[in-house]
Amino acid sequence: MRMQPSGLGVLSRRQLLQSWGCGFGYLAFASLASAASNYRSPLAPRQPHFPARAKRVIFLFMQGAPSQYETFEYSAELASAAQKSSSLMAPAFRFAQHGQSGHFISELFPHLAKQADELCILNGLHTDSPAHPQATIHLHTGSFNFVRPSLGAWVVYGLGTENQDLPGFITINPAPLGGAQNYGSAFLPAAYQGTPYQTRSGKLPNIDNQELGREEQRKQLDLIQSLNRGFLEKAKVDPELEGVIESYELAFRMQSAVPKVLSLKGESDAIRKLYGLDDPQTRDFGTQCLLARRLAEAGVRFIEISHGNWDHHSNLRQRIRQTAREIDQPVAALIADLKQRDMLKDTLLVWGGEFGRTTAGQSTDGRNHNNRGFTMWMAGGGVKAGLRYGATDPVTGAAVEGKIHLHDLHATILHLLGLDHTRLTYRYGGRDFRLTDVHGVVAREILA
Amino acid sequence: MRLLLGFFSNFLFFQLLLGQPSETPSSGGIEFFETKIRPVLAKHCYACHGSGSKNAMGGFFLDTREGIRKGGNSGPAVVPGDIQAGTLLAALRYEGRKMPPSGKLPDSVIADFEKWIAMGAPDPRDGKPANWKESVVNVEEGRKYWAFQNPVKPAIPKVKHSKWPLGVIDQLVLAQLESKGLEPAPDADRATWLRRVTLDLTGLVPTPEQMQAFLADRSPLAWERVVDKLLASPQFGERWGRHWLDVARYAESVGRGRNYVMPYAWRYRDWVIDAFNQDKPYDRFILEQLAGDLLPASTPEERNRNLIATGFLALGSHDLIEQNADMFRMDVVDEQINATSRAFLALTVGCARCHDHKFDPIPTADYYAMAGIFRSTEMLSGLQRRPRDNVSYFNLNLLVKLDLPAGTGKDSWMLDPVKQRRWEELLAAVDEARSAPLRAILKKTAASASRPVMQNPVQTAAKLRQQVLQLLRELDEFPLPRNLAMGVREGRPHDVEIHIKGDPNVLDRRVPRGFVQVVSRPGETGFEIGPNESGRLQLARWLARKENPLTARVMANRIWHHLFGQGIVPTVDNFGKMGEPPSNPKLLDYLAVRFMEQNWSTKKLIREIVLSRTYRISTAHQERNHRLDPDNRYFWRQNRRRLEVEAIRDSLLFIAGKLDFTRPQESPVMEFSRAFDLGRGRGTYPKDYAVSVNWRSVYVPVIRNFLPQMWEAFDFPEPSETKGRREVTTVPTQALFLVNSPWVMDQAKAAAETLLAQPQASGRERIQQVYRQVLSRDPTPHELDQALAFLDAMRSSQSHEADQKSAWARFYQALFASAEFRYRS
Repeated sequence: MRMQPSGLGVLSRRQLLQSWGCGFGYLAFASLASAASNYRSPLAPRQPHFPARAKRVIFLFMQGAPSQYETFEYSAELASAAQKSSSLMAPAFRFAQHGQSGHFISELFPHLAKQADELCILNGLHTDSPAHPQATIHLHTGSFNFVRPSLGAWVVYGLGTENQDLPGFITINPAPLGGAQNYGSAFLPAAYQGTPYQTRSGKLPNIDNQELGREEQRKQLDLIQSLNRGFLEKAKVDPELEGVIESYELAFRMQSAVPKVLSLKGESDAIRKLYGLDDPQTRDFGTQCLLARRLAEAGVRFIEISHGNWDHHSNLRQRIRQTAREIDQPVAALIADLKQRDMLKDTLLVWGGEFGRTTAGQSTDGRNHNNRGFTMWMAGGGVKAGLRYGATDPVTGAAVEGKIHLHDLHATILHLLGLDHTRLTYRYGGRDFRLTDVHGVVAREILA
Repeated sequence: MRLLLGFFSNFLFFQLLLGQPSETPSSGGIEFFETKIRPVLAKHCYACHGSGSKNAMGGFFLDTREGIRKGGNSGPAVVPGDIQAGTLLAALRYEGRKMPPSGKLPDSVIADFEKWIAMGAPDPRDGKPANWKESVVNVEEGRKYWAFQNPVKPAIPKVKHSKWPLGVIDQLVLAQLESKGLEPAPDADRATWLRRVTLDLTGLVPTPEQMQAFLADRSPLAWERVVDKLLASPQFGERWGRHWLDVARYAESVGRGRNYVMPYAWRYRDWVIDAFNQDKPYDRFILEQLAGDLLPASTPEERNRNLIATGFLALGSHDLIEQNADMFRMDVVDEQINATSRAFLALTVGCARCHDHKFDPIPTADYYAMAGIFRSTEMLSGLQRRPRDNVSYFNLNLLVKLDLPAGTGKDSWMLDPVKQRRWEELLAAVDEARSAPLRAILKKTAASASRPVMQNPVQTAAKLRQQVLQLLRELDEFPLPRNLAMGVREGRPHDVEIHIKGDPNVLDRRVPRGFVQVVSRPGETGFEIGPNESGRLQLARWLARKENPLTARVMANRIWHHLFGQGIVPTVDNFGKMGEPPSNPKLLDYLAVRFMEQNWSTKKLIREIVLSRTYRISTAHQERNHRLDPDNRYFWRQNRRRLEVEAIRDSLLFIAGKLDFTRPQESPVMEFSRAFDLGRGRGTYPKDYAVSVNWRSVYVPVIRNFLPQMWEAFDFPEPSETKGRREVTTVPTQALFLVNSPWVMDQAKAAAETLLAQPQASGRERIQQVYRQVLSRDPTPHELDQALAFLDAMRSSQSHEADQKSAWARFYQALFASAEFRYRS
């Protein structure tokens, strides 16, 4: 039977079996075979294709495209080439080696430098578009020509989520470029779309009742559920109605679980200080990093946090110093904090922007867009800590060694989560779709 | 002819024109290319200008013969034999554009290039990848597939249970049920039927008064009376028009890289709603959407309507910052092919863009035959790709002009000559900025500026952008003229080449414009496309012809899907091999033929279906049937279905007494800024219209990437792709919305206020009234007691008026949130 999982009933068991690529759904749903009428939440945890190295992802998205030559790609060759060619711009900051790994890290990141040995620095990234909106959507969905599900949606579709009282995919202060497409589910069921959370609003939409106290609300809910059970009784068998009943209990639990996890009240002064919440420069991203840790701890599958202002066409020296300052301490704190909670081993951190910047200078103190070579780094869950992989050409800026296209990046992230990117498919419009379309090679060299 | 041309000196030039890369250059020239030219290109150019990188810089590719001769945005890179023309040599010499950027190449290398071009730029690089094969699709064999054979009206089968059927539909359904050992469910009670049919035809719950009238009407004609009334109400078109808008990927902003508004999209929306209300014959409905501009019209009004209908082809989501102009053109064409083939044929012709369709007998040549039609058509969406100034994406010149008086509405400034003049000045200034080279504008603006032009190109570009933005902001102050619409018009008619692997730089043979062969009949005539027309009119007529095996079936199936929650072919947008086969082929054929026989009348077909017994039966579960047919593929019962978000919202407003039945004049999007991209967060952030207006939901603006919260929660389809069947998911955000959103509470309060205004009603009577309004039935005695207890618990003192009202509001809200309200049985 070939069928799209839609129409009647989200998730009639049968449709689920049909739509989860290549039958790993069968495994997960084996238990359902005996209890055909039991509702199963689309967000219930599912087994990966093979043992996972990471259980969850924190994606630190640096919108605007950070310059690799001022951050994490040490290129002495560029410095010397720049002496010969006036069009090239030498790296603007000093790099020094850090830790056992001897990672070269620019002086802009004194805090992260202390975590050097945790980083797996990827200098050979490349992507297809040098325009911010296209590349941002491409990075998030694997496509800029078509509207496709986002990486986080694919992950939650593949694995479900661990804490049923919280959304499976949360994106904090999402980047404006690309908008909802960056965390959308496109043709995947809406249950897999990301939930945006704005730190300035302080809460998720409709998460609290502004009129009823908890007790009154429970009474109202009891009436609703009693009506629902009566309706289900008349229907006799209907997994979808069971789903509705279940969704009210979940919603009720979410009302207390979500504000609790989003509140930083319980965090000690030491932790606040660690993340830089006491400093106006680092408070914004520090808050995002701390929230990311809390969400990770609470069992959210995919978390994205964002920081903008990396588009340094001019005044690069001054501006990148500032931008780096805003994220350096918070990110280092996140790594340290995850480590001290023994969570770094199964949490995958991914840091980077939509592309990188040119070797050539622009307006004497800036760099232009470069999609042919850029840098990201990973840490934690299943990647080789202390590895530097790949390089760009010191003149053209194109990735020449250890090349990782963003489709490869996606394949690798899925792989670390125990998902085979060629098997994580969804049938829509007459064919099986993948996050990586017909591309993607797992970067095995960077796996621990 | 081609052979003869070969003797002329401009042989190569003609070869180029003909798209026939089959020259046989001298072996010496090739050797020169291989030793002197290719290595340099490979080393210094391919990284940025190779087909390996999808988005070649400047939109051109140097790694194929076609690419290097075609060039990019600034013209051909190489013109064989002419060292004065072409952009490549100038760039190598560092005149103007400096290439390669890493440093000027030695003079001896540049001299090699000169020599090579002078000798005719011999170039053996065949653009075709080694694995490219011309089509192997056997169309004749493909025609044997069920969907490509014409529907035939089936013989009426005998049934055992001969009293059950009310008409042919029932006979066809029952015959199949009996053959599968299934039994139809008993009839639903009358109240359930009325709620079902009212929701299905209008998207609203029936009022208690309508219910009473129907229950009291004991005539056998009672059902027909209800159906005729519903079909005649304007709410019918608002409901069924929305179904079509899902298929038409309707939206009011373009989405993607630069999310600019499409302020005239609403005209198409209203046209669709009117078409359903007027029961426009479906064949005509197709003609107007694809070729309305080419149809004769007897009045200006009819002409306007025809033009507006072609908005169908202009509503797609396009990436306005696509760098490669050819790629953009072909992406637009691709979007139009996809929308057209999926909407009307339920075929995924778009799959044949890069290779023959993997599953259906559609060769790549068919795709490019259709592509030729749309390439010969100009899209007028009001938006343009990459204006020079990078801000004036919205372009009034790219819209369809309607025959309407200007200045009759908010655009009354058009009658004021002073304002009119200023408006035109502004438009002219923006036009200039949009198309003139940056340098020229800068010179011009510098003349009036006190400071000299800055040398820094980034800063100067930013400055230019600021200047244009200033103009656009002033333009924003003028309400848009009303006499415009989105649509298409004829462009330069021409055939296009097969694009190998979809790459606009690697072309194969040229294909005459035409349609999908497997859907055509061998030897069929009457659809020839003349040299001076795009072929859209022929395409439309070809789609809407009775001999088309798919068109009637696809629409009849869509209609069935909306009335049963499941199509006879469940994959309503895909009748190809990757779709599902029809569960009852005879029924599908009957409906298709019937549809055409009744002059493609949507209303008549819907009427026949909803008056059938198959439609009338209950949703009751039956163990034995369920075991045999758990998915109800054979329609042994009605399906219980979650209401769409529009039906939920409209019904809540309706019960609250707040639903505004008037159609809004145009759309709020008309007043959005055209100077900003919605995606950049600098524009007018669209507010959540779903909660701020009381119109029917179909009139709430659909802004890509900014769907209302309620829309997101209740599975509104992504408005960039054809979606004839919506997802139904059950997630806690829906529950949270219904119990916590201030908007839902407001509806509950408004309903409670009206309820309490009725004097001297007892608590029990009021509870009954609430049940009738929300669930279209009376409460059971147990439910009555439960409600009374709930109300008691919710108010601290009976007398206090505010307490009273809030208790009833909470009761309403509980019923709004109940599964029974969210579903139609």
